Amino acid sequence: MRTRIFAFTLSIFLCAIARAELKWEQTSVELHPAPADKEAVGHFKYQNTGSQPVRFKSVHTSCGCTAAQSQKDEVPPGEKGEITATFKIGDRTGTQVKSVTVQTDDPVNATTVLTLKAVIPQQLEINPTFVFWGQGEALKPKSIVVRASKDFPVKQLKVTSSSPDFQTKVEETGNGQFKIDIQPSDTSRNMAATLTIQPEGSSKTFYAMARVTNAAATQ
Amino acid sequence: MRQALLLAALAFIPGIGEAIYFRDKVSWQSPIPASEMVTQTQARAWRENTIWVDARPDAEFEREHIPGAVLLNEDRWNELLPQFLTVWSPEKRVVVYCSSQSCNASREVARRLRDEAQLKNVFVLQGGWEEWLKSRK
Amino acid sequence: MAQVAKVKFVWRIVDLVVGGIFIYAGAIKALDPIRFASDIDNYKILPWMIAAGLAFYLPWLEILCGLALISRRLYLGGLSILTALTSVFILAAVAAKIRGLDITCGCFGHASKSWNFSGHLALDLAILAALLALYFKVASGNRLRNAV
Repeated sequence: MRTRIFAFTLSIFLCAIARAELKWEQTSVELHPAPADKEAVGHFKYQNTGSQPVRFKSVHTSCGCTAAQSQKDEVPPGEKGEITATFKIGDRTGTQVKSVTVQTDDPVNATTVLTLKAVIPQQLEINPTFVFWGQGEALKPKSIVVRASKDFPVKQLKVTSSSPDFQTKVEETGNGQFKIDIQPSDTSRNMAATLTIQPEGSSKTFYAMARVTNAAATQ
Repeated sequence: MRQALLLAALAFIPGIGEAIYFRDKVSWQSPIPASEMVTQTQARAWRENTIWVDARPDAEFEREHIPGAVLLNEDRWNELLPQFLTVWSPEKRVVVYCSSQSCNASREVARRLRDEAQLKNVFVLQGGWEEWLKSRK
Repeated sequence: MAQVAKVKFVWRIVDLVVGGIFIYAGAIKALDPIRFASDIDNYKILPWMIAAGLAFYLPWLEILCGLALISRRLYLGGLSILTALTSVFILAAVAAKIRGLDITCGCFGHASKSWNFSGHLALDLAILAALLALYFKVASGNRLRNAV
């Protein structure tokens, strides 16, 4: 009888200690991609510190712009590995936070949320990126303010309009700031132009838009 | 115990007052402010003054989208924005959607249209694409 | 007698400091309840409606309880509530950390945005220790009074 109780207790104890446990080196990664980078890649390293293998059930990202992959489907005890999250930067700006939800058969931590924070460098801040006139509106120039980041100083700005119907004038206002004055040739018909803004010495191009719309408007 | 209950009850007064003060800025259904959200019914009521904006990735838009919707996502923002602005005019109301309420893309696109392009009347569709599909059945 | 006065003075300072901390923390959150609601939501424990409700209510509860500690009116009630709030918050923060959620604490609004998890936990545990010390001081004082 005593032996049976002992064996039963021991088996419960062994079941309790014989468990899977995935330990993450870090669950949050901050990346600083360069201006020309198209992707930012985060590596989330883990190790199975338990005595049972851990199986990945799913690795799911918070948006279509981030792809995540696990090196292996099953992690034996003691083994290390990593999940790679690739964030497609596209035309995104500012600080982007994306998450990767990992589901495993680890009874202690079945779900882990990994966070990828990408600080996308902003060479130029353009405000606003769109100016418009209503039909018949007074033919007055409107301004776009361009601010260069302290990390990427700009001495000169080249602005070209895609349409001769819109004239532009660039003026440096000091402290890395520029003012672009835009004026349409007339406001009696619909017209549009894309303004290409290029900092001197930079291969990266920025854009703003100008339009004469088909309704009376105030901006 | 009585003291704790009294303090807990007293705290409701300024709390409710503040909730009333911020009533336009908060939505009790979701983290998106009430003034930013719009239901399908509201958006459809605007009829031809509504511009539907699809903030999902290209492939999802190609598969299916709200009829007449314009694609504008952050993957190709610089390329797609001029096309969107060509169909936009000041009297129109922009309704941005993406896959379901929890997807952040529609909020980000709406935010950029408001902050960067300084457009007015930009809203996020409550329930997103999934809600649209459900209403079709 | 002078020794007793000194001890009383020290406990009074603890009242003022702890009360002051909660008034400050409550005020910062009351100024931007929308952000606080989103911080509570980040813990992913409560539905959004409850998180939003708490965001409007909790800061004022903290302020009132902080004032209770400083003014010594409704003192025990304020102390109990603050002890309960701090304990629940520490548990929620640890649970979030174990679940791998990367959250901004939210306890001092965005004034504490750049602090790390250990720094926050240490401060919260110190506040809890002070609250428990005040609690036991009152309890032992009551026992003495009842015995006399």
